[in-house]
Amino acid sequence: MKKSALIDLIGIKMLFILLILLFACVLSPALSFSQPIVLGVPISRGYPDGVDAERGITLAVEEINAAGGVNVGGAKRPFKVEISDTRDLEAGVPVAEALLATERLIIEQKANFIVGGPIRSEAALAAMDVVSKHKTVSILSAGVLSPAYSKRVEENYDKYKYCFRTTGSVVPMIGGTLKTFESIKAKKGFDKAYIMVQDVAHARAAGNLLKEGLEKQGWKVLALEIYPTGTTDFSVGLSKAKDSKAQILIPWFDMPEVSILMKQWFDMKIPALPIGYIHALQDEGTWKATDGKVAYAVVLYAKAGSVATKAIPMSEGFVPNHKKKFGVEPRSEWTSTSYTVVYILKDAIERAKSLNPDTIIPALEKTDMMGTYGRVKFDPKNHQIIENGDPKETAVGMWAQWIDGKRTIVFPDKIATKSLEMPPWMK
Amino acid sequence: MNIFIFGLVNSVILALMASGFALVYGVSRLANFAHGALYILVGFATWLFLNRVGVNYIGSIILSIIAVSVLGGVIYRFLLIRVKGMPASEIIASLAIGIAIMELFRWRGFISEAYMLPPFVNGSVSIAGVMIDWQRLIIIGVGLAIMLLLWLFTHHTKVGLSLRAIAQDKHASMMSGIEPDRTAVISLAMGSALSGIAAVVILPLGNITVETGYMVLTNAIAVCIIGGLGSWAGVFAGAFLLGFAEILTAAFIGPQWQMVVVLLFIILTLILKPSGLLGKQKELEERV
Repeated sequence: MKKSALIDLIGIKMLFILLILLFACVLSPALSFSQPIVLGVPISRGYPDGVDAERGITLAVEEINAAGGVNVGGAKRPFKVEISDTRDLEAGVPVAEALLATERLIIEQKANFIVGGPIRSEAALAAMDVVSKHKTVSILSAGVLSPAYSKRVEENYDKYKYCFRTTGSVVPMIGGTLKTFESIKAKKGFDKAYIMVQDVAHARAAGNLLKEGLEKQGWKVLALEIYPTGTTDFSVGLSKAKDSKAQILIPWFDMPEVSILMKQWFDMKIPALPIGYIHALQDEGTWKATDGKVAYAVVLYAKAGSVATKAIPMSEGFVPNHKKKFGVEPRSEWTSTSYTVVYILKDAIERAKSLNPDTIIPALEKTDMMGTYGRVKFDPKNHQIIENGDPKETAVGMWAQWIDGKRTIVFPDKIATKSLEMPPWMK
Repeated sequence: MNIFIFGLVNSVILALMASGFALVYGVSRLANFAHGALYILVGFATWLFLNRVGVNYIGSIILSIIAVSVLGGVIYRFLLIRVKGMPASEIIASLAIGIAIMELFRWRGFISEAYMLPPFVNGSVSIAGVMIDWQRLIIIGVGLAIMLLLWLFTHHTKVGLSLRAIAQDKHASMMSGIEPDRTAVISLAMGSALSGIAAVVILPLGNITVETGYMVLTNAIAVCIIGGLGSWAGVFAGAFLLGFAEILTAAFIGPQWQMVVVLLFIILTLILKPSGLLGKQKELEERV
C-alpha cells in the first residue's frame, strides 16, 4: 500500500470514530464531554453536621446527574462536587482555616458555586467577604443561625448580594418555637417552663428570647440555666426542675453530651416534658444507642425533611432514597437543607440559562419551588429563606417526638403525623 | 441529699478519670498526655467489639482493656523510652500520640452521636427520696473497689512494692535489682488499664466522642494539680474537692460558673501550695 493511501485510510477511520462519538454524545448526554458545573462545598468533615451536609449534596447531585444534568441554555451539564474541609467546628481551629478552604475551592477547583458551609456562624460571616470578592454565588445550607448573616446582606446588598441562606435564622426559629409552646399551653394546660441552655452564643440568645416570649404568653419561667459546653452532669438542674414543679424542660444544646441530660431525665423520672433544640437526639440511631431513654423527648429540627410526611411530597422521596444510599434515614436538618439546595441551584440555573452571577442572583431571588421542607422562597432584600408558615407557602421547621423507636412529627400542626404524648410518670 | 449523692458520684468519676494519669506519674514521673486518648480508645474498641465483631458486652470490655493495657506498655517501650528524662519531650511525644489516636477516630468517621455503650444495669433506685440510676451507683462501687485493690496491690504484691520503691528512690531500688524501664512499662500498662476501666464504667452515662478524650485529660490534670502530682491520696482529695465544688456551684451559683470554680481552685493551689494539697514531695510513702 502506498504511503498516501495509508494516510487516507487512517484519516477516514479517525473521521468515523469522531462521528460515532459525536452521535453518542448527542443521543446520550451522560456521555457528553460538556464541562461540569462545579459545586464547591466548604464543610467541617470531622463533625456530624459536615457529614450530613455532604450526604445531602451528594445524593441530590447523583440524582440530577442520573437524570441528565442541568439544562444550561439548552446544553445539559452535570454537577461536580468538590469538597474542602474547613474544620470550622473543631475547637481552637482559627476562622482563617475555613476562609482558606473556601477560597481554595474558588481559585484552585474553579468552583462555579459555593454550597453547604462554612457551618460555624463566625466562619460563614467571614467567608461572605471571600465569596463576594470572587463574585461567586454561595447558598448556605448547614448551620449558621446567626441573624447577622442576613442583616449584612440587607445593609450592604451590592457587596453581599452573592450570599444566600436556607438554614434559617435564630429569630424566626424562636418565633416558630413560641408558636409551638402556645399550642402546647392550649392543648395541655401547661404554664411552667424550665430552660436549660448551652453556654454558646446562639443558645444563650435563644434562651433569653424564649424566656421573654414565654413570659409574654403567660408562662412562668422557673429558671434559665446556662451549662458550659462539655457538661457531663445535669442532676442538680433536673432536681431543681422537679422540685419547682416544672411541666416542660426546654433544653437548647448542640453538644453531644446532651444525651447525658436525656438519660438522667429518664432515669430520674423527672415529671417535665423535654422539648427543645437537642441536636444530638436528631439522629435516627439515638433510640438504639440510648436503649430508648430518649422516649418522649421532643426535638426541634431547624428545617423539616428528616422524617417523611405527606404534607411535604418531596420529603417522601428524599427520606427513602437517603436510606437506600447511606443505610440510615437523614440525620440532622442539614441533610435535608443541603439536598434541597442543589435543586434550588439547578432550578435557578435553568431559569437563568447561564452560570453568570448577574443572571443567577435575580433568578435565585425569584425562586419559588417545593423542597424537602416546604416551599422555598428567598426574601430578595436579605437573601434569607422565608419560613414558619404553611409548608405550601414557606419553609418550615419540624418538632419530632421519640415514640416507640421512631421520630414522629408532632408540630407544627400542618405537617404533624401524631399528637404529643406524655411519659407514663407524667400522666 | 441531692448534693451529697451527686457530689459523691461526680467526685468518684473525677477520681477514676485521674487515677491512671496519677499512677503513671507517681511511678515513672512521666506525664502521660495520651491518657485521654487511651480512655476513648477503650470506649470505641468496646463499641466495635460489641456492635461490629459480635462479642458479648463483658467480653468486649475485657478485650478492650487488655488491648489498651498492651498498647500503653508498647507506647513506653518503643516510643517514650527514647525521650526518657526529658520532661518537655515526654509531654510533647505523649500528647502527639494522644492526638494521633483521637484524630484517627475522627478521620475514620467516628463522629456520630450514636456511639454509646449500654449501662451495666438499666433502671433507677430511690435513695432518701433522690432518684439515681444504677450505673452511677456502680461507678461509686467500682471507684471504691479500684482504690482498695490498688492499695492492696501496691502494699502486698512484689510488683506493687517494686513500683513504690521506684517511685520513692530510683537509684536505691536499682541497686536492689529493680529494673526501672520494666516498672515504667508496667506502670504505663496499668495506667492505661485504669483509664480503660474508667471509660467502660463512665461512658455508658453519655456517648463516646473524640472531644471526650481532651476533656478527660484536662480533668485528670486538674485533679492531679489540685491534689498533688504523684500523690495517690491527693488524687482523692483533689477529686472530692472539685467534684463537690462543681455540684455546689451548680446548685447555688449557676452551672455556667462550674469551670470558673475549677480554674480558681487550680490558680489558688498553684499560688498557695504549688505541690498540691497532698503532693508532699518529701513524704514518699504517700506516693503510689
